[in-house]
Amino acid sequence: MNIDDWKSQIKRGTLEFCILLMIKQRPTYGYDIISTLEKYPILAAKENTIYPLLRRLLKEDYVSSSWQESAGGLPPRKYYSITDKGLAYIAAMTEEWNNLLCAVDEIKGE
Amino acid sequence: MEKTLNSYLEKIERHLKPLPISERVDIVKEIQSQIFELQSNGKKPEEIIERLGNPKELARAYLGDLIAKDTSFTWAKVLAMFAYYSLASLSGLIIIPTLAICAPVFILCGIVVPIFGAIKLIDHLLNLGIPFAQHIGVSGINGPVSIFICCIVIGVVLFLIGCGCWKLLIYYMNGMSKIRLYVNSWGRDKTQNKR
Repeated sequence: MNIDDWKSQIKRGTLEFCILLMIKQRPTYGYDIISTLEKYPILAAKENTIYPLLRRLLKEDYVSSSWQESAGGLPPRKYYSITDKGLAYIAAMTEEWNNLLCAVDEIKGE
Repeated sequence: MEKTLNSYLEKIERHLKPLPISERVDIVKEIQSQIFELQSNGKKPEEIIERLGNPKELARAYLGDLIAKDTSFTWAKVLAMFAYYSLASLSGLIIIPTLAICAPVFILCGIVVPIFGAIKLIDHLLNLGIPFAQHIGVSGINGPVSIFICCIVIGVVLFLIGCGCWKLLIYYMNGMSKIRLYVNSWGRDKTQNKR
């Protein structure tokens, strides 16, 4: 049984959705995203996945970014916030996500 | 910051060379910020480096398509390219010139033959006595009218063959370039799937 392969395939598309949802909640930065995702084993991903993904979302204008000073003597953080294009993308993803869940439920017959 | 962490960041910066400087600086700054966050949460430099992984791999994740497009090298891809170009040049050597000659010649003949038929018919009807018109004819068929009809039928057939050759040529070229795109993208898809 190769559940890990399957999990990584599921994760590939879902991660993008979850990250956008988190950024939609409130502007946030990479470390915070990674820490939040770590709470959910199915979504946990390392820096080498999250940061390039964030950069891609930025390039495709789904999110915008700005460097902000942080309290407590830490260096500035790069905050990401959602754009209008990102909101539309999330809306479309949410619909497809619901379609998927409905389909799975129906096929399961429960 | 620790020396090991600094040299780690320098390595990443070096591996990000294909990107413009502004982007590189931004990426390194963000990873640096991540390192600071991890440090302030009590992580040791060795732990942080282990977590972030090989600097080359991390940089490669950023470069993504860029690097896969330019430098992906797999034996399977080379063999596929080799097979493609062998096949393309061999078949191209015969098919392309043959079709390229046949198409215009058949089309031209398809136009010329009915014209000759018409000349013969006009010559006969109006008694013009056009030189060499008596030499125009289809073997086994007598009478200018039936020769004219015969010429039109042959002309149409030749014209259709010519058009067919032309379409076949275009179809062949399109097909070959589609295969080439597929072969070219093949190695790239493989490297992307691995990630």
